[in-house]
Amino acid sequence: MDELAQLILTAEKEVAEADSTAALARIETLYLGGKGSLQAQLRAIGSLPREERPTFGARVNAAKQALTERIEDRRSVLAGGETATRLAAESIDITLPGEPIPAGRLHPLTQTMGRVKDALIGLGYEFVEGPELEEYAYNFAALNYPEDHPAFDEMMTFYVDDTHLLRTQTTALQGRIMSQRKPPFRIATTGRCFRYEAVDATHHHTFHQVDVFMVDEGISMADLKGTLKQFARAMFGGDVQVRFRPDFFPFVEPGVDYSIYWENRWLELGGAGLIHPNILESHGIDTERWTGFAFGLGIERTHMIQNGVNDLRLYLENDLRFLRQF
Amino acid sequence: MKLPIEWIKEYVPIEASPEELAHRLTMAGLEVEETAESSVGPVLDIKVTPNRGDCLSVMGVARELAAAYKVDLRAVPHNPSRNEGETAPITAVAIEAPELCPRYAARIIRSVKSIESPAWMQARLIAAGMRPVSGIVDVTNYVMLETGQPHHAFDYDTLAERRIVVRRARPGEQIVTLDGQERVLNPEMLVICDAEKPVAVAGVMGGGETEMGPRTRTVLLESAHFNSLSVRRTSRTLNLRTEASYRFERVVDPAGVAAAADRACALIAELGMGEVVSGIVDCTPIPIPSRTLNLRPKRVTLLLGFEVSAEAAADSLTRLGFGVTPSGESLNVTVPTWRPDVVREEDMAEEVGRVLGYENIPERLPHGSSTQGGDSADGRFNSRIREVLAAAGLQEVATHTLLAPGPFEDSRTESSRIAIRSALSAELSGLRRSLLPGLLEALDRNARRGQSPLAMFEVGHIFHATDSRWSERTSVGGVLCGSLQPAGWRHDSKPADFHAAHGIVERLSDSLHLPDTDLVRSKDPRLHPGRSADVLLNGATIGWVGELHPRLSAEIHVRERIVAFELDASALQEAARQVRGYEPLSPFPSVVRDLAPRVPVELECAAVKTVVESVDTPLLEGFELTDVYIGNPLPEGTKSLTLSFTFRAQDRTLTEEEVTGALSQIRHALETRCGATFPA
Repeated sequence: MDELAQLILTAEKEVAEADSTAALARIETLYLGGKGSLQAQLRAIGSLPREERPTFGARVNAAKQALTERIEDRRSVLAGGETATRLAAESIDITLPGEPIPAGRLHPLTQTMGRVKDALIGLGYEFVEGPELEEYAYNFAALNYPEDHPAFDEMMTFYVDDTHLLRTQTTALQGRIMSQRKPPFRIATTGRCFRYEAVDATHHHTFHQVDVFMVDEGISMADLKGTLKQFARAMFGGDVQVRFRPDFFPFVEPGVDYSIYWENRWLELGGAGLIHPNILESHGIDTERWTGFAFGLGIERTHMIQNGVNDLRLYLENDLRFLRQF
Repeated sequence: MKLPIEWIKEYVPIEASPEELAHRLTMAGLEVEETAESSVGPVLDIKVTPNRGDCLSVMGVARELAAAYKVDLRAVPHNPSRNEGETAPITAVAIEAPELCPRYAARIIRSVKSIESPAWMQARLIAAGMRPVSGIVDVTNYVMLETGQPHHAFDYDTLAERRIVVRRARPGEQIVTLDGQERVLNPEMLVICDAEKPVAVAGVMGGGETEMGPRTRTVLLESAHFNSLSVRRTSRTLNLRTEASYRFERVVDPAGVAAAADRACALIAELGMGEVVSGIVDCTPIPIPSRTLNLRPKRVTLLLGFEVSAEAAADSLTRLGFGVTPSGESLNVTVPTWRPDVVREEDMAEEVGRVLGYENIPERLPHGSSTQGGDSADGRFNSRIREVLAAAGLQEVATHTLLAPGPFEDSRTESSRIAIRSALSAELSGLRRSLLPGLLEALDRNARRGQSPLAMFEVGHIFHATDSRWSERTSVGGVLCGSLQPAGWRHDSKPADFHAAHGIVERLSDSLHLPDTDLVRSKDPRLHPGRSADVLLNGATIGWVGELHPRLSAEIHVRERIVAFELDASALQEAARQVRGYEPLSPFPSVVRDLAPRVPVELECAAVKTVVESVDTPLLEGFELTDVYIGNPLPEGTKSLTLSFTFRAQDRTLTEEEVTGALSQIRHALETRCGATFPA
C-alpha cells in the first residue's frame, strides 16, 4: 500500500469517527484544504517519473472526490443530530402569558357610526359632514319650522347668539346640501347634537344622530319603507319588519315615526317621512318631478339596542371598564 | 292629555277594549303613552303632536276614532242660540284688534247659585288631571276638555259698564292675574278689558278683580278665538302657561266658539247653577276662513306608494270632516275649520294614508339614477387618525363639547371662548377650545377607579371666536399617564414621559405620511416649561405635545406625570393631501457607520440634526440617534451620542474610501459646529 492509499484510509476512518460538524470541518481542512494532505500529494507529483504522473493525478483527484462525498454524508448525519439537540435545549414554557401589546379600541359610538356608514354607503349614500355650531336658518327656518311654532321649543336649544346655535338635529345639513346641489342625490350625515335635557338613563343634552335623505323622481313612502327595512337589516341583522305610525316633524309630510320588529318586540327608532314640499320648493326644486324622503336615527339608541345597554349616560362618561367591552 | 275612555265613548259608538283603543289611536297618529285607571274607568294619556291641536279634546279624539272605525260621530248636545236675544241689551263686545281676536262671543248667566258641580263631572275632571273649583268654573273646564274651546267666566257686576273691549295692552299697563301675580303688559299682548281696564290676558289667564266667587250673582261667559302666535308670545313673555294658552297656541276651531258657549250654558241650566239669559253676543270682525284645495288621487298614489282610488281618497277625507266634491280626475276638498294644518295636497295625502292605514304601504327600494356612495374626505381622514392611535394603544373616548371655564384650557385664548347665551349652569356655559379638559376629566375619573393603562385619545370639534367669526375645527388630542405597557413577567413598566407622547405624535405623522414635524419649546401655560413643545408642520404651529404643568396635574388623582398632545386634524389633513414623489430603489448595497461624538450636555438633538443635514454629501441616505449617554466616566457637562449613518449610491457599490470620506466630512462638521470631540 502506497502513501496515498494509506492517507485515504486514515482520512475515511477519521471522517467516520468525527463526532461533530466542527470536528468534521477540521478534518476537511486537514485533507482537502489548500494546504491539506491531498493537495500536498498533488504538489509532490513533480518528483514522479513523467509516465506515472497522469495516473497518479487521476488517483488523487478521485480520492478528493470520494472523500468530499463522505464528508458531506457524514456532515448531514451530524448536523441533523446537532439541530435536534439545539432545538431541545431551546425549549421554553409555552404556557407563559404572551407579551402584552397595548391595544386601544374605538369608542362604541365611533364603531356604531362606522356600521351605519357601511350600511348606507352600500345603498349609494354619500356622507357629508356639517358643523355642530350651526346657523338658526339651517337648523330651523330652512326645515319648514314656522316662526314661534310650539313644535320648536326655544328652551330646548343652546343658543350662542340670535343666529347661531348648537344644532339640535343633524337634519340641519339638508338645507346646506339643497342650496348647493341639484337632484338626484342621496346624502347621509352623522354627528353630535345638543338639546337642553335633564340628564337621565334615556336623555342627554349631548347625543349623536345619523340623518339620511334623498331626492329623485317618483320617490314614495314605499321607497322609504323599503330603504328602512334594508338599513335595519344591515344594522340589526335578521329579517326585520318595519312599521310606520303617523307623527309630526315640520320637515316631512307625510311624517311618520318608524319602528322595527326585532327580537319579538317593536322598537321605535326615529322619525321619517317624505321631504316637505315647502323645503324642496324653497330651493327651486320642482316637486311635480322630484320627491324625496328623509329619516333619522339615534346612534346611542342603536348601540343600546344592539348590545343591551340600559344607560345612555355611559357613552360620555368614558369609564374604561365600559369602553373596553366593545 | 288625559281623557277617560267612557267620556270619549259617549260620542263614538264603539265597543273596543282600552288596549285596542290605545293601539288604534297610536297607529292613527295620536300616541297613547299610558292607560291608567281612575274612578271613571280607564284613562288614556295621549301625546298630541303640535300640529294637531284639534285633537286636544274628547270630541277631537272621538272624531279620529270614528274615522278609524268607520262609524258616525255623535254631536255635542247644546241649544243653539244664534240671535242676540236678551243678552245684547245688557252687554256689548268691541274688538279693537281683530287681527289678534277674529271672534269673541259672550253669554250671560243670572241668579248664579254658589253650588258645587255634580260628582260625575268632578270625577271626569279629576280623571283628566284637573282640579274641581266651583260649579260654573268646573263647567267651563269640562266644556274645554270636551270641545277644545277654552272659556272664561267673569263676575259680570265687577266689569265697568258691564261690557267687553278687546284690545292690545298699553305700554306699561298692569294686571293682577288670578294667581295673584302682578303682570306688566306691553302692546304685543292682547287683553280683555271692561270699559276702563284690563280684566284678563287674552287666552292666557283672567284677572283677580273680576274673578267669579261665592258671592257672584251674574256671570259673563267668554268664548273667543285668539291668534295662536300672539297667545304663544304672550304666554312666553309672562312665563305663564295654562290649559287655555296651551290650546290657543295650537288650534282652536273658530267655528266652534258659539256652539261651545251654548254647550256650557246648557250644562249650567241643566245642573241648576243659574239662569241662562237668552241670546248671545257674537262678534266676528274677520270672517272665518274657508279653504278649498285640489287633490289628485294619482298624486296620492305616487306619494303613498300604493294605488289609491278617487273613491277611497274621498271616503277617507269625508270621515275626517272634509267636504269632498269630484272635479274631473281630481277632487275639490274643503278643509274643516279645525284643521288649519292642512294647506296642500301632501297634507291631504297624509290624511288619506292615515285613514287607509300605513300598513298598506309596500316596501320598495328606490330606482332611478345610481349614485356613488362613500364617506366624506373628513370622515375618511379622521377614521385613519383613530385607527392609528388605537393601534398605538390609546383608547378612544368621547368627552363633552359644552364645558365650564377652567384651568385646563389655554388662558392665552380665553377671549376666544364661545359662550352659551343664558346658560343654565356653568357646566353647560360654553364651547370647548381644546380637547384637553375633557381628556383630563376622563383620566381623573378612571384613575380614581384604579384603571390602567391610562392612555386615551379623542377626535372632536373645538371652537374659537375670532374677529366676530366662529371657527369650528377638528382636533385630535391624547393623554397618557403611567405605563402604556404594563409590567409583566419579562418587562418592568416604564411610565409615559414626554418622549412617549412625542413618539405617538411621530407615529401619527409617519402613518399618515405627513412631512417631518419640528418641535420648538412651547409657551403654553398649561405645560411644564422644560418638557413641552409646539409642533410645527411646514413652519406653522399645528399643536403641542408635553408634560402637564405640575400646578395642573396636582388637581388630578394620579401620582405619575401626565403627558398629552393636541393637534389640529384639519391641518394634518391638509398636509396629508399633498402628493409625494417616488424614489427609485437602488440595487446597490448600503454601508452603515457609527460615530460617537462627545458634546456639551445642553446641546439639543435638533442642533446635531441640523448640522448633519447641512453636510453636502449625496451619499448619506439617512441617520439616526441610537444612544445618549450621560455619566461616568464622561467629564461633567458632557454627554456621548451614538449616531448611526447609512450611505448608499444609486449607481454603484460604494468604496471604502468614499464612505470614509463622507463620514469624515460629517465628523468635521460636528467638531467645528457642535463642539464635538471624538475621544479614542
